[in-house]
Amino acid sequence: MNETTLLLDALRASVSEHRTPDPGVRRALAEVTDPALVRKAGRILAGLRPDGTDLRSVRVAVLATCTVGSFVPLLRACLVGAGVLPTIDAGDYGAFDLTLASAGFASDGDPDVVCCLLEESYFLPKDWSAVDIDGIGRHVETRLADLCGLVAASVGRTSATLVVHTVPFPAELRDAVIGWRDRATLAQIWHRLNAGLLGLAAEHAQVVVVDLVGVLTDSPYPARDDRLHRYADMPYTDGALLALADQIRRVVQARMGLSRKVLALDLDNTLWGGVLGDVGPHGVQLGGLYPGNCYLYLQRTVRRLRQQGVILVLASKNDAALVEQALTDHPDVLLRPDSFSVSAVNWSPKVENLRHAAGSLNLSIQSFAFMDDSAFERGHVLSELPEVAVVAADGDPANLVRTLLSPGLFDVMELTDTDRQRPELYRSRAMRSDFSTGFSSSEGYLHGLGTEVVAEPLTSFAVVRVAQLAARTNQFNLTGVRFDESTTATMGADPEYLVASFTVSDRFGSEGIVGAAWVHRGPLAWRVLNLVLSCRVLGRGIELAIVEWLTRESRRAGVDALQGTFVPSGKNGVAAGFWNTAGFVDGSDGVFTLAVDGAPDLAPAWVTLRERNEVRQ
Amino acid sequence: MSDRAWVGATVLDILSEVLNEPVGDLRAQPILAGHDWDSLASLEALAQLESQLGVTLDLRSFHAAREIDDIVGLVMNAAASSR
Repeated sequence: MNETTLLLDALRASVSEHRTPDPGVRRALAEVTDPALVRKAGRILAGLRPDGTDLRSVRVAVLATCTVGSFVPLLRACLVGAGVLPTIDAGDYGAFDLTLASAGFASDGDPDVVCCLLEESYFLPKDWSAVDIDGIGRHVETRLADLCGLVAASVGRTSATLVVHTVPFPAELRDAVIGWRDRATLAQIWHRLNAGLLGLAAEHAQVVVVDLVGVLTDSPYPARDDRLHRYADMPYTDGALLALADQIRRVVQARMGLSRKVLALDLDNTLWGGVLGDVGPHGVQLGGLYPGNCYLYLQRTVRRLRQQGVILVLASKNDAALVEQALTDHPDVLLRPDSFSVSAVNWSPKVENLRHAAGSLNLSIQSFAFMDDSAFERGHVLSELPEVAVVAADGDPANLVRTLLSPGLFDVMELTDTDRQRPELYRSRAMRSDFSTGFSSSEGYLHGLGTEVVAEPLTSFAVVRVAQLAARTNQFNLTGVRFDESTTATMGADPEYLVASFTVSDRFGSEGIVGAAWVHRGPLAWRVLNLVLSCRVLGRGIELAIVEWLTRESRRAGVDALQGTFVPSGKNGVAAGFWNTAGFVDGSDGVFTLAVDGAPDLAPAWVTLRERNEVRQ
Repeated sequence: MSDRAWVGATVLDILSEVLNEPVGDLRAQPILAGHDWDSLASLEALAQLESQLGVTLDLRSFHAAREIDDIVGLVMNAAASSR
């Protein structure tokens, strides 16, 4: 069964069981971009009448100067996807002016929002002469004044928010005029019309104007299907209507106070390229050419959000001192430490950090958005905190800004002085607390991930990656000994040594080789010369699974003990207590020892440890 | 399954959804006018057929279609001419 069928079935089940779709289903619905599928979903949701719901209700009236087509089901699906339970009334065909003038949108009281769907014929003469461009201009101006008068009459009679939009300049009008000078004049007339429509927002506090023309520029769908326009007076395609419906969804969200106030941000591969712990403050990609310019532009965008009152939280698994150094000293960083109202830089699960940040700020977790490049971290947050809006920062960094901004998560009806001061106010409130440095993610989530660790003695294919891990890994690097490619290959071929690679995969896919161990095989004991693990998989018990495998191998070789050391580097504090955690006994010489006979299994229950070529059960 | 059989099954699924009637009922009564085949339903069906099957249908022929099989034929022709 494909995802589309699953989604539609889940919506049907909600309707038939009289309950609201759960957050996961609503999120999946909100992510659908295919207009045909959204329309189907909207039709199904027409029957949604839940027995009690935690969703906010909204009443929407739709008025149109044309046929509304599939606008109502599209809007319904968008609103349910955003966690709103809508009642939508479409006005009578041909009654646009009368309904607007009288504000008679519904017989049983005022709606919350009135959407006015406009198209060009409302503003144009029925017939027009291509040699009288000034005449067209005068007519359009008069019709705009008529509409402005109707809007003014309406806002005096209703408390609803009126939404109007700019109108695309139709190609059949533009190209019917063959003189370039006249065509430019005509375009000017049209831009003046749209400027007049946009001006309604400044004139009336109750009016919101959506720049549909601008929105459609970015839409993959054409504004018009001439067949449907001529046949059914439908001037917009479903794709264009979906773009408009999504804008209305943003207006409704802002009007009902459902927008997000807080943006929690990851650092590595989100606010800069690369892993700070591995490459250091000078090695991160930020500024300059691609891809560093993408991260810089994201920082600039986030700074603009902060200027408008969005509270920033730093949520990064990193060494706090190193992050402080990078944020303070890196010349291209725009978001300095004091940009963040709460800084949660530690090795705790991000879920806990977000909860803690919400507590410090005294804000609901529903007001949070969270941006991270790791599917694991995003999945964990979605699983534990489904109210948080999660923004994916993976993929091409060129898309980061659009990905963050396009859902309109932070829209407000109007910015106030308090909004602008909010980040500073909340920063004082939270006092930038550093959180506990716990080391594991929630077990329920980890069990659901299906994490597999595949251990394998070094192969020629793995040499380069294993040496790369030795060179780049700073945080979970137990001894700091960086075996290079040639040494690693030599050790891998020498029976006196064991070099092993560790590959991790879970339901999000494979992380590839993320760990490596270099071990000396002594006659009585095996000594771990170094063990490194990428910070991408820290906090999941992978390192314990690796030691379990090494214990098994050494037991199989007939030795008594497995030994290891820890050499502090200033960056590997996260691994300081590792040998003790794994049950090794601390000797007076700084060597940690585990008697391999009878040593318990160490891998957490949520990790399956396999060897390469082992048959899956 | 032949191309025509696959298209036929997909068309039936789409019409079943648009008309809110079981596929079996549509098979038993393949004449479109025997169902709630009004202008709104036909435009909804047109949009879904074009979107799901990746074809552009001739609106005049579409509205001249009397039976479900006529629509299947239109989709087959549209698919063939777009190759």
